[in-house]
This record gives sequence, structure tokens and C-alpha cells, in this order.
Amino acid sequence: MAEIKVDSRGSACPGPITDLMKAYRNSKNGDIIEIMATDPGIKADAQAWAKKTQNEIISMEDRDGYIVVKIAVKNKK
Amino acid sequence: MEKGGLAIVLFSSTADKLIPVGVLSQASANMGIPVKIFVTGWATTLFRKNADKNVMSVPKEYEPMAPMLMEGLKKMNAPSWFEMLKSSKEYGEIGVYVCSLMAGALGIKNKDDLDPIVDDIIGAAAFLEMCSGYQTLFI
Repeated sequence: MAEIKVDSRGSACPGPITDLMKAYRNSKNGDIIEIMATDPGIKADAQAWAKKTQNEIISMEDRDGYIVVKIAVKNKK
Repeated sequence: MEKGGLAIVLFSSTADKLIPVGVLSQASANMGIPVKIFVTGWATTLFRKNADKNVMSVPKEYEPMAPMLMEGLKKMNAPSWFEMLKSSKEYGEIGVYVCSLMAGALGIKNKDDLDPIVDDIIGAAAFLEMCSGYQTLFI
């Protein structure tokens, strides 16, 4: 049960989801991935990614100039 | 697209068409969607061995807008179309195939004449067969 922080701020679409995917590959079920991004596409893209890969979005938060998305890793085989 | 994938017929060789190919390949790799790219037409020369991948040209009618777009992408540190395609191949299911007709027309004899990113030289029928059930884009 690790918390994996990914800083994807400054990276343009589809960079943040690529960073998320890379973190996901090294994760285990029960881990939480927290990704920070400035690309506004992250919200819809993270939702689509979670739906497709059957993992769960815990929260999405707007902070000062960036967005934080927390994902619970559930579907690692 | 649950069981299918994305078939891209890559015909054009201008930056405005190549960037979406890079973005869609990378996004598909992220989503676990397979992509097969059929390189044909004007795009073929870009996949020759040691070809310059730094494409800045756009079609004539978009030329006035091009500098604005290119500067914007540079400011965002957006990777080039080829970097996106290459990185998507590292972790995604991405196949790149060169059209055998175009290869013949350009004197490309085998894979040794092509960029290492290319999986094979194949005909249109083989491409259609391997993409059965995929959504197709002609770019």
C-alpha cells in the first residue's frame, strides 16, 4: 500500500496520462497514485483511463494553477 | 472499441497531420488500445532510414497560422510527433507497416532501408486483414 506521487506539471496532453500509465505499471493493487498536472485535459482523460483500465478515481482537486487527481489501483493482474 | 483497436492509414507528410498521429498513438498506448499504422503516400519517405523527422511544413492554406501553432507547441515543451510515436511503441501495442507498393515505387527494398520503428513492409490486403474490427482513420 504505497502512495505514488507523480508530478506531470508542465507536460502537455497526452503526457500526463503517459506519466500515470508509467506509474501504474510499477504499482500494486491497494496503492494510491497521486498525479499533479497543469494540462486541463487531465480531468476527462483520467476519468476515461480509469474507466478503461477499471481503476478508481478517488478525488479530483483544483489547486493553485494545477489539478491533483488521486487514483486507487484496483485492477493489477 | 473494447476488443478492437485503431487502424491509421498515414498518407500525409505535413506537421499538422503527423502531430495527431503521435498524440493518438500515445493516447492509445496509455489506454491499452492497439494501433496499427499503414504508412503510405507522402508519409513513406519519412520512414526511410535516417530520414529527417523534424517536419515543420503545413499545407499552403494553413501557412499563415503555422508559426503561431509551432511556437505554442514549443512553449508547452510538447514532444515531436516522432518522439510520441516512438515512446508509445515502448509500452503500447503499436505496429508500423510500410505499404509495399510505395516501398517499391521509392526503391525501398527491405526493412534495412527503413527506420527501426517499422515492423514490416506489407500489402494493403494484409493490413486490412490484421485490422479487422478496428476503427480506421485516413490521415
